[in-house]
Amino acid sequence: MLLAATSLSKRFGGVAAVRRLDFHLDPGEILAIIGPNGAGKTTVLNLLSGVFPADEGRIVLDGVDITHLPAEDRCHLGLGRAFQVVQPFPEMTVRDNLMIGALFGSRRRSLAEARARTEEVLALTGLADRAAMPARDLTLAWEKRVEMARAIATSPRVLLLDEVMAGLLPQEADEMLAVVRSVRETGVAVLFIEHVMRVVRDLADRVIVMDFGEKIAEGSYADVTGHPRVIEAYLGMEEAGGA
Amino acid sequence: MRWVGPAALCVALLVPLVPAGGYQQYVVQVATFVLINAAVALAWDIQARTGQLSLAPAAFFGLGAYAYTMAALRGVPLAVAFLLGPLVAGVVSLGLGIVTLRLQGLYFAIATLAFAEVVKVIFKELPLDLTGGAVGLTAPPLLGGHQTGLYYLGLGVFLVVVVASLAVRHSRLHYAFTAIRQGELTARVLGVRVVRTKLLAFVLSAALIGMVGAYATSRLFFVIPEDTFGIGLSVTALATAIFGGVYTTAGPVLGAVILRSLEEVLRLVLREGYLAVYGVILMLVILYLPGGLVSLWNRRSRDVAGGD
Repeated sequence: MLLAATSLSKRFGGVAAVRRLDFHLDPGEILAIIGPNGAGKTTVLNLLSGVFPADEGRIVLDGVDITHLPAEDRCHLGLGRAFQVVQPFPEMTVRDNLMIGALFGSRRRSLAEARARTEEVLALTGLADRAAMPARDLTLAWEKRVEMARAIATSPRVLLLDEVMAGLLPQEADEMLAVVRSVRETGVAVLFIEHVMRVVRDLADRVIVMDFGEKIAEGSYADVTGHPRVIEAYLGMEEAGGA
Repeated sequence: MRWVGPAALCVALLVPLVPAGGYQQYVVQVATFVLINAAVALAWDIQARTGQLSLAPAAFFGLGAYAYTMAALRGVPLAVAFLLGPLVAGVVSLGLGIVTLRLQGLYFAIATLAFAEVVKVIFKELPLDLTGGAVGLTAPPLLGGHQTGLYYLGLGVFLVVVVASLAVRHSRLHYAFTAIRQGELTARVLGVRVVRTKLLAFVLSAALIGMVGAYATSRLFFVIPEDTFGIGLSVTALATAIFGGVYTTAGPVLGAVILRSLEEVLRLVLREGYLAVYGVILMLVILYLPGGLVSLWNRRSRDVAGGD
């Protein structure tokens, strides 16, 4: 087990965003978290990456209890995170955005080593042609790619991806899928949140379904999509959307 | 444009040798103040690169100035007293930084402003035989007060700040500072030790400003709370850096050369009301050139880069 969360809980005011969530991630595994809007998926990633602290529960990364560590320490221990709402450093070039991850991520690198790592990830993620562009001049699809590339540049052991495929054209999403797969080939485990079901089906080894902060199903894509509570949760959402 | 720095250094080295007749002393004096303004503005800019708006440069300038003066008056060798300037400013900034650097944006700015005012009042109210109260103290001059010697010492002090700025620019600190400025949370998630890095920038900047304070005092020959800790000093540092171009080494230096010269020329030509004209020019540049004067030059070089 590479990453394990036990009884993870987080409340915002009176709302339980995440309730007693247990899950684990094995080395080299790709795990998807799906669920309706507001199910608490992004909160889970925020708890894992240390954006805010958990109210209860434990998070263990490769035997190290990281529950109370600040975000930067978790990054150093091998958690790489791409945000749903892209957060590029706007005045930096694409190359320098990746450079930050390469320099300060999970391996202590010199400037020269970080530059080499940056060029490697630029090539891997298909960003080499845009390396010299300021990040603020990119379209959303390319910003998403930078967001993911920057997390990869930190050389994580666990890559946390929050809807990096949302809003992409099918071909763009396919390119991102290929990148995630090639990162996994190097032994990195991936935990991703996704609404595009095709991506979940094609990419995930295992799927966790959340609703109202709780895990309601877990298993293969076929298992969970046939699960009655999952169908109910999604149908319930569609009814609410239609009303 | 690699020749600009060395060329400017040559000009600076030659200033006291320029035959300016009766104006010789005046030219060297103005040049000395350009160096002081440039050094304070550039040292302020170093910590501004982490996105922290410090309004306390006057406090560290004053601490450096008083540390030098009080030590020198008590018989401490002048060279040692001079080194106390950056040391005292650096140590105090470490304490202030630990307390305030977790504050965001305006709250940090206001905390530093309040600190600067409090330090000024403390030095005013301390026993007369310690700080001289509101009247201040007479500072023993370095190098026997020799004007040309002091000019070159000032150039040395200024170059220390320039070297510090360039060293930051060409190290991993540059990436850490810029990342923190453009997105603190993202920087943390990518592994940047934000608080530690901000603290380093703050203390480095304060120590450099304290060094300039110690030097400037040995050149001005006195310290007075209202002037030495004056808000005017902080405002000048910010205006100079913003006018020339923040987050660069060239910007604050260029800003100091042009603003200080402009002020002198306007004063000689207009005699009265020159500060109003000075203020309008400053406002126009800040309004129409948000990146400061250096952005003119960068804009051109970016077009060139985009063309190939």
